[in-house]
Amino acid sequence: MEVTFKVYRKDPEKDGKPGRSNYTIDIPEDATVLDGLLKIRDEIDSTLAFRASCLRGYCGDCLVRVSGRARLSCVAKVTAFTQKAPEISLDPLRIVPVIKDLVFDWDAFMWNKIRAVQPWLEPKEPASDGENLIPDAAMKDLRKVMSCYYCGMCDEGCTVLPVDFNFLGPAALTKAYRFAFDPRGKETRERLKILEEPKGIWDCVHCYEADEHCPRGIEPTKRIIALRDLAFKLGITNEKVARHHKSFAASVKESGWLDEGRLAIESEGLTNIKGLMKLLPIAARAMARGKAPIPYLHPKRPGADKIKKIFEKGEQETK
Amino acid sequence: MQEFDVLVIGGGASGLRAAIAAKHAGAKVALITKIHPLRTNSGLAQGGLNAPLGKGDSPESFAEDTLLAGDGLCDRDVVRTFAAEASKEIIWLERMGVPFNRNGEGRIDLRPFGSNSKSRTCYTDDRTGHIVLQVLHEQAQRAEIPSLEEWFVTSLVADGNSCAGAIALSLRSGKLDSFSARAVILATGGFTRLYLPSTVSLGTTGDGQSLAYSAGARLMDMEMTQFHPTVFPRNPALLITEAALSEGAVMVNQKGEPIRLAKGLSREKICLSIHNAMQNGGGSVSLDLRPIGKDKLLSRFPQTHELVRGLAGLDITKEPIPIRPVAHRSVGGIETNATGETSLPGLFAVGECACNGLNGAGRLAGNTLTEAVVFGRKVGDAAAKYAKTASKKSFPSAKLSDEEKAITALVSGSSSGGDSSGKIHADLGRLMSEKVGLIREQAGLQEALDRIHRLKQRYRALRVRNTSRIYNYELTTYLELGSMLTLAEIVAQAALGRTESRGAHQRADFPQKDDRNWRNHTLVSLVQEEPRWDQKPVAG
Repeated sequence: MEVTFKVYRKDPEKDGKPGRSNYTIDIPEDATVLDGLLKIRDEIDSTLAFRASCLRGYCGDCLVRVSGRARLSCVAKVTAFTQKAPEISLDPLRIVPVIKDLVFDWDAFMWNKIRAVQPWLEPKEPASDGENLIPDAAMKDLRKVMSCYYCGMCDEGCTVLPVDFNFLGPAALTKAYRFAFDPRGKETRERLKILEEPKGIWDCVHCYEADEHCPRGIEPTKRIIALRDLAFKLGITNEKVARHHKSFAASVKESGWLDEGRLAIESEGLTNIKGLMKLLPIAARAMARGKAPIPYLHPKRPGADKIKKIFEKGEQETK
Repeated sequence: MQEFDVLVIGGGASGLRAAIAAKHAGAKVALITKIHPLRTNSGLAQGGLNAPLGKGDSPESFAEDTLLAGDGLCDRDVVRTFAAEASKEIIWLERMGVPFNRNGEGRIDLRPFGSNSKSRTCYTDDRTGHIVLQVLHEQAQRAEIPSLEEWFVTSLVADGNSCAGAIALSLRSGKLDSFSARAVILATGGFTRLYLPSTVSLGTTGDGQSLAYSAGARLMDMEMTQFHPTVFPRNPALLITEAALSEGAVMVNQKGEPIRLAKGLSREKICLSIHNAMQNGGGSVSLDLRPIGKDKLLSRFPQTHELVRGLAGLDITKEPIPIRPVAHRSVGGIETNATGETSLPGLFAVGECACNGLNGAGRLAGNTLTEAVVFGRKVGDAAAKYAKTASKKSFPSAKLSDEEKAITALVSGSSSGGDSSGKIHADLGRLMSEKVGLIREQAGLQEALDRIHRLKQRYRALRVRNTSRIYNYELTTYLELGSMLTLAEIVAQAALGRTESRGAHQRADFPQKDDRNWRNHTLVSLVQEEPRWDQKPVAG
């Protein structure tokens, strides 16, 4: 069958401006996108740059956007994209620095971020000569996370990264989960301190796009939330969003409803003079319109005691 | 020029393990690799890695099975060392974080696999290579080993009679640079892309074997390439782990009749059974995984389920999958001793690119990854020790400008009359599968040699049209094809020379094993631009 591949082009040795090349090729019905790309490079245009390695969906190296959707070109069948017209478009991911054509900067996109979470186990001192004795259930969860082939589709789907490229992103944070929840490792607290820094776990907006995009069903958002819970459990709650969560819960628990003034102050931090000063103009304007609640002078709502009991029950259960 | 004690070329399991060991031994180490370590061919290994950890198992029994699979060409001392050290190395991997499947006691579960006489294969579902590779990469980062990724090594550099380093091309910058090292470890993997179809990744093109050969090191038993029996034969082929057979899958012929296999058959024998069934019945053979049971298929073979469905459009829980033997792993490679020393001082080799006498004429299923970690550690240690005592070598600086000129001459930008690396490779791959494949015979091998010569002529007339240096994959593909053509001729010549059938080398015209004449290794090295053939008797 004849299909036209419309491919994004960029040549850093020329003007570096993006363009597009169209190649019409004859390929078998069951051809993958990578089959087509390899044919183009070999027979029509040897300057076309794209990556590939395992050829069969094990490794993640050949991630591109096929007609707008992030796919591994080695397992994406061309016919899945040609129902309307015999053509497909190929582009690099939306948010990555492109080096040449479909070759983008994996270091900036993912590897450097993974490196930043100290991606290795610091093993505990072994109890005996043999292997650690661990139930398979604990290992099964790690195997699921480690089925990740670093394709980056979760980062491509993430809604924070297009706004803030320095966010560690779901791939790196999922990698961090793998160590934080490995019973054989010893330094969870230190790693969580890294993760709670700005651009870490608290910058996730839990839109669940990463879970939708992950081809392996690893559910990166769920992993990020698990890391947050663990951070709370270990009392690592210095980050603004963590303080926000804590204050929110405390005020609802105590009075049955949200003390907004208190939330603003405690989110900034009681000793954060600079942050608190910034609140003053907002507080003044709100006060002028009669909308500023006085922090901590916050009457209980009817039924607040019942709400408190719900909190206590929940706290008991998580213990 | 960058300077190191130990330069490891290749970022797969063997290279990472060697780099970690050399670093722990106090050497200044760097890893240089043409693709990111997590994208290497090690990640494709599925079934597991062997260690005699089970009750009632022993290093002796493990060694015995390895020797049987090697069919009389193994070095006994190397096998014994390997079997004795395997468990320690697997325990190390476990402690560093491999989430092995566990049994009811919380110990590493052991699966029956291939022709192992005991259950001794440790595994992580059907993604063992992928996960072991991750843990090794993690520990390499923990050891702060610099990793030069997307650097393509174009040549090894010798100072007199010893290896002094390498010259490599950065895909990203397009620039050549030189790397001086007291010891160089080749861990570049196999050369199975000589065959099409094959089960390996795009870059498994024998770069290391070719670099070593060009630098004067000896290659050994290059006629031995293992075929894998249970492969869905599209191109690229899709391997279904042999663990499926051990766990209850059955092979059936075109009529749906089961093909009976004796228990504990080697890969080579299973391949021959399939081949015979296809010849006799004139039809196809399928693997029926349904007897394993749907639940177990989904929990133990999740990757196989996903990929067969995606690429073949078939569901392993519902229907049999067509299979045939497909070229899988190089058994021959760069001749080394147990600590990875090649015939060229200062040059070491480990893993699939090496041939240290462990695998003989055929590799036991589940030994590849164990080999990578056991010998990765030993060779890393040995190279670090060598680097400590070796005097500083002088790196001939003219080499870099020579290499620059050679590359510039290749990249001419002129058209080559419609021929291309891809076309030559397609012809080579088909030729190797047909004439130097599972079953060989004299006339076919001679024809293969003639045709390889013609392919080499086409190759010599070929020029690289892409004049850009940045991510010039036409250039790297061209260089890889050069390696493959060099090795193809050696493989065919070695296969022609061995007038017997043994392990992975099966001759239709010499169907018997000939221990009287052929308990010998085939050796070849480049002497004054010509191959010199030799033999050495099997040790032990």
